Amino acid sequence: MNSRVKTKSFTLPKIFSALLQGGLKVYSIPKPELPLVSIHLVLPRGAEADPPGKAGLADLTAEMLTLGTQKRSASRLAAEVDGLGATLSAQSGWDSTSLHLFGLSEDFERLMSLLLEIYTQPAFPPEEFEQLKQRRIANLVQEKDESEIIADERFQEILFQGTPYDHPAYGTLKTIPQLVGDEAKEFYQRGFLPEGSFLLMIGDVEEEACFRWVEAHFPGGVRGKEAVSKTPSFYSPSGVKTVMIDRPDLTQSQIRLGHIGMPHGHPDFLPFEVMNFVLGAGGFSSRLMTKIRVERGYTYGIRGSLALRKNPGPYSISTFTPTATTFPCVREIFSLIQSFLVQGATEREREEAINFLTGSYPLKFESLPQIAQRIIQAEVHGLGLESLADYPERIAAVTLEEMALSARKHLHPERMLIVIVGRSEKFRGEFEPLGPVAIRE
Amino acid sequence: MTAILEFSDYQLANGLRVLVGESRSLPVVSYQVHFAAGSRYEKPGITGITHLFEHMMFKGTEKVGPEEFSRVIQANGGTLNAFTTTDNTSYYENLPAGRFELAVQLEADRLENLRLTQETLEPEREVVRSERKLRSVNSPFGVLVEQLFALAYEQHSYRWPVIGWDQDLKNLTLEDCREYYRVHYAPNNAVVVVVGDIEAEKVFRTVEKYYGHIPPQPPPRLTITPERPQRGEKRAVFKKVSQVGAFFAAFHIPGITHPDLFPLQVLCHALSLGRSSRFFEKLEKPGKAVEAQAEMGHPPFFFMDPGILQIYGIASPTIALETLEGEVWETIETLRQEPLADEELSKAKKQTRSLFLQSLQTLFFQGLLAGMYQVRAGDFRLAKTILPSYESITADDVLRVARKYLRPENRTVVLLQPVSQAEHEDLGEIE
Repeated sequence: MNSRVKTKSFTLPKIFSALLQGGLKVYSIPKPELPLVSIHLVLPRGAEADPPGKAGLADLTAEMLTLGTQKRSASRLAAEVDGLGATLSAQSGWDSTSLHLFGLSEDFERLMSLLLEIYTQPAFPPEEFEQLKQRRIANLVQEKDESEIIADERFQEILFQGTPYDHPAYGTLKTIPQLVGDEAKEFYQRGFLPEGSFLLMIGDVEEEACFRWVEAHFPGGVRGKEAVSKTPSFYSPSGVKTVMIDRPDLTQSQIRLGHIGMPHGHPDFLPFEVMNFVLGAGGFSSRLMTKIRVERGYTYGIRGSLALRKNPGPYSISTFTPTATTFPCVREIFSLIQSFLVQGATEREREEAINFLTGSYPLKFESLPQIAQRIIQAEVHGLGLESLADYPERIAAVTLEEMALSARKHLHPERMLIVIVGRSEKFRGEFEPLGPVAIRE
Repeated sequence: MTAILEFSDYQLANGLRVLVGESRSLPVVSYQVHFAAGSRYEKPGITGITHLFEHMMFKGTEKVGPEEFSRVIQANGGTLNAFTTTDNTSYYENLPAGRFELAVQLEADRLENLRLTQETLEPEREVVRSERKLRSVNSPFGVLVEQLFALAYEQHSYRWPVIGWDQDLKNLTLEDCREYYRVHYAPNNAVVVVVGDIEAEKVFRTVEKYYGHIPPQPPPRLTITPERPQRGEKRAVFKKVSQVGAFFAAFHIPGITHPDLFPLQVLCHALSLGRSSRFFEKLEKPGKAVEAQAEMGHPPFFFMDPGILQIYGIASPTIALETLEGEVWETIETLRQEPLADEELSKAKKQTRSLFLQSLQTLFFQGLLAGMYQVRAGDFRLAKTILPSYESITADDVLRVARKYLRPENRTVVLLQPVSQAEHEDLGEIE
């Protein structure tokens, strides 16, 4: 039942592109199945560009674009977007900032006009800035009750200390109250129109109509100052270190363990992806799920994943388990990684992983935002669009030796950071033999 | 352009219903089996068995080892999962069209030959208890919603959570699982839905080949007590460690086949969808609420029996919970007094249509729509009436449903009252 999956050939949707005189790259992907259109304007800098001590500035600046233009107040803009049955968002992630409008294709031109207005004529109303800050502060206070979010954020903060990824993109309770409106305005003027920005339109609109509209309306001078190009150095400390966030009210611990991984564009990325499917990303096909959930019943779910970033992202194993099994669960994970590094994957596991990754690949191109996301990632991470078409073939060529090598080079149990959110007094002692343990509130 | 796929319909002699929606957009199919099994069909004392049993369906048959099902589907390029709701339990595989028969074979095998043993039940019981801790006990508002349903319903089986009460999960036996399997997992209690790059005739032949010999079962004896109309507000307080206060309210509304659900959906969107919505402008924007929402699910996830429209508010640290709650009821009262203006109505209708069209983008959802309407409403064709129903809604319809259902007498409210760690511990463990 496990022979190589041969499917009818899957072809990527046709991607049309053009370069405007002003330097803006434009993509159009016609998809006429439903009367929808998804429009994305992507700027190649994100929360990694937050100045030191200003966590959240890029993302806050992005959201400010949606809170009023020189023509329309925030309320009128919201009424306009909602009146079209559309959704508008502007967010900074790692490595990019994205303005997204998703609506009905019958409103294509109005949606495009709105996007242009938001992008080029934001008003940064001071009262909107203050209200936005207050909303974020209230959200951040409430998130203290979300143990999964705390675990994810603390893990990344500690792991990436001293690098541009060392803070949550949304900001923190320390930084958000300090930000002032002029900083957002200045951040926008300095960095929101950088070289390398691109516009992507996907849906029930023909490419000629897209290009015609953009040529006629997007001003030539939209290209702004150059993006600040940072080449940060990423440092993975040696030794196993545990940080516990004490939450005596929880009956179950959230566990994250891992280290800094590799960039999306790294030559070892695909062998690592196949290897990690076997180790941790393959659901019930993975060794971690088989051992920790099926055999031990410690958890409902466990997953090992490498974040996709332009620079090295985190490799993390995430799970949760009742308080009493917190240490046994971590011990089993370590022992499994150790033995996996020695034994490696089997030929059958390799073949099944490849079958999964290639066979399920078309399912990643179903919805308009999904397709857009694939293209945006390929662009922002510097992989090139051809990587989308080549993927199945390159995955299928990964050998057992390449998988083993990628595990030895990029999987480091001796350098793990462990973050646990839970009742630390109940298991702290058990962790001490692994290395230093710090407790935080 | 047809937004919703056309389905061909076929029924095997053993009662199994088969629906096929052909689409050539991608070289894949979504294979789904929807059972008329949900927490609705449970009895007190064995709550959560439907969901625990869903986990047991992955524990192997005479031919396929434990969790082998998932491995084989993935090894053939497919993704898979299952979910349990109040009204149905559904299993699905999204896989390359060329591997379609494998899904039919494996699904038919576990419908007929599931191996249920104490050895596989025990670890899975702990997995489900851990899942319950994740979703309810340790989530900020999970237990609140459980309390809300437990208070809003006095008789109907929607009063307990789909995942079940922890004590019942501890007590469930292998015999309970065997009985559940025998009664609910029969071809005459299921709908197979196939959507994607395949011909209907081929599907009918293949399903006949693998399921045709499986005998039907007598229909389960239903023990569902209808809920009596509520005649006055019910309130409760739940105390736990929390950064914020919050309230969760429930209003009884009709089940999936009732036409009032569509204007109610438009009403929910006018209240809380988008940044021009009433709750956003009045409560979230000025920082009174961290979040304020009105929601009732969307098709095909409407409740089969009379369900709940939920309104909740999470208070920002700067406002008293009672002030927030008061402002929410004032907003609702306005909707019960005056019809939506033309502009607001047309906005909310367009948002509703747009959201529904967005959901139709995946084959998986198109399959859910047909399968769940068949199981919950008795007719997959009703999915075709959704878009026209949205179009015909008037301001009078919205006013009428607001007056009819959002009455204070029809309301149940649970308040989250934050307490210190010491008081939290003093109240005993949350289970």
